[in-house]
Amino acid sequence: MEADDLALVSRAKAGDPEAFRALVVRTQRKVYAVALGIVKDRDLAWDISQEAFVRVHAHLPEFKGESSFSTWALRIVSHLAIDSVRKERTAIKDDIDDVRETDLAGGGEGILATALGNDPQENALRRELAGKMAEALAQLPEKHRTILVLREVEGLSYEELAERLGLHKGTVMSRLFHARKKMQALLREYAGIERGEAAEGGTEP
Amino acid sequence: MTACLRFAPMIGARPGELTLEEASALAEHLASCGACQGRLADEEALSGMLPEALLAEANRRDFSAFSDEVLTRIPALGRAARPAPRGGMLAPILGWVGHHRLLAAASALAPTLAALALIVYLGQGNAPEGAPVEVSSEGRSTMVLETSEGPVVLLGDLEPEGS
Repeated sequence: MEADDLALVSRAKAGDPEAFRALVVRTQRKVYAVALGIVKDRDLAWDISQEAFVRVHAHLPEFKGESSFSTWALRIVSHLAIDSVRKERTAIKDDIDDVRETDLAGGGEGILATALGNDPQENALRRELAGKMAEALAQLPEKHRTILVLREVEGLSYEELAERLGLHKGTVMSRLFHARKKMQALLREYAGIERGEAAEGGTEP
Repeated sequence: MTACLRFAPMIGARPGELTLEEASALAEHLASCGACQGRLADEEALSGMLPEALLAEANRRDFSAFSDEVLTRIPALGRAARPAPRGGMLAPILGWVGHHRLLAAASALAPTLAALALIVYLGQGNAPEGAPVEVSSEGRSTMVLETSEGPVVLLGDLEPEGS
């Protein structure tokens, strides 16, 4: 697949529009998924995805193939999406990244894992929650949506997240912790699981 | 609890992302902390679901026009943009019509023009009575026999008598 992408990139660099179209078609849904995860709005995500491919085409001569074409395209679209929601980010100041004792209390840890069981293919709840996940993501603050999408969809490491978002590695880890905790709380709500039902080990307040 | 403050954010780290000391300390903590075991279990249970969910959202959208819209936004490639396919099974026909508008219009008008020409021709009395007149349209010919009762169109594969 990647060798095919490189051949298409070479042809696109030489000015073949159909080769570039083929690259777009191959990656368009993943690019759109990343944009949608970050900006929430479908039409804005559509527009940002298209703009990302315009930038990709403009910078094709600089693409050396050190990463895959799709990785490169995802990097470009996530930059654009983050830029577009920067206003939202600066408007919300009350969401701190530190992990405090209250953040660990009564979280119902393990409930989702128990409910989802061991066989992802056979679990109806898993399918139901997968259908709700995009909706839950859209309810998170921008900085939590962004870091989850960059981590889970674009697959960035802690180091890459720190570089991309201009954060220390410790802040990346705590922000991810908050994002996951909020996501899990929303999914438990969707699944109709009461908070604090599970055995909490040593985490009771 | 205090230990959880340190270790809970480390849960979900991929191999190589924690220092050896951090990884070792986390493993030791997990062995004795039920809450963090639960956090790890939740993290693993939900692993991979977010990309699936977002791709499912993307798959609900019709992308048939996406690449053309992208190419249109790139001045160097704008001409390569194709109109989005429409009309289901009629799409190839509609596409041909779109690209050959003049030919399509001519094809649609040909039978009408042929019929008009026949009426004018017969109205001028140019055809001798009994003589068959052959009118061709789109590669199919029709025989018309002028009689005292008026023109008789010979349909199908029938040949005029005596031919």
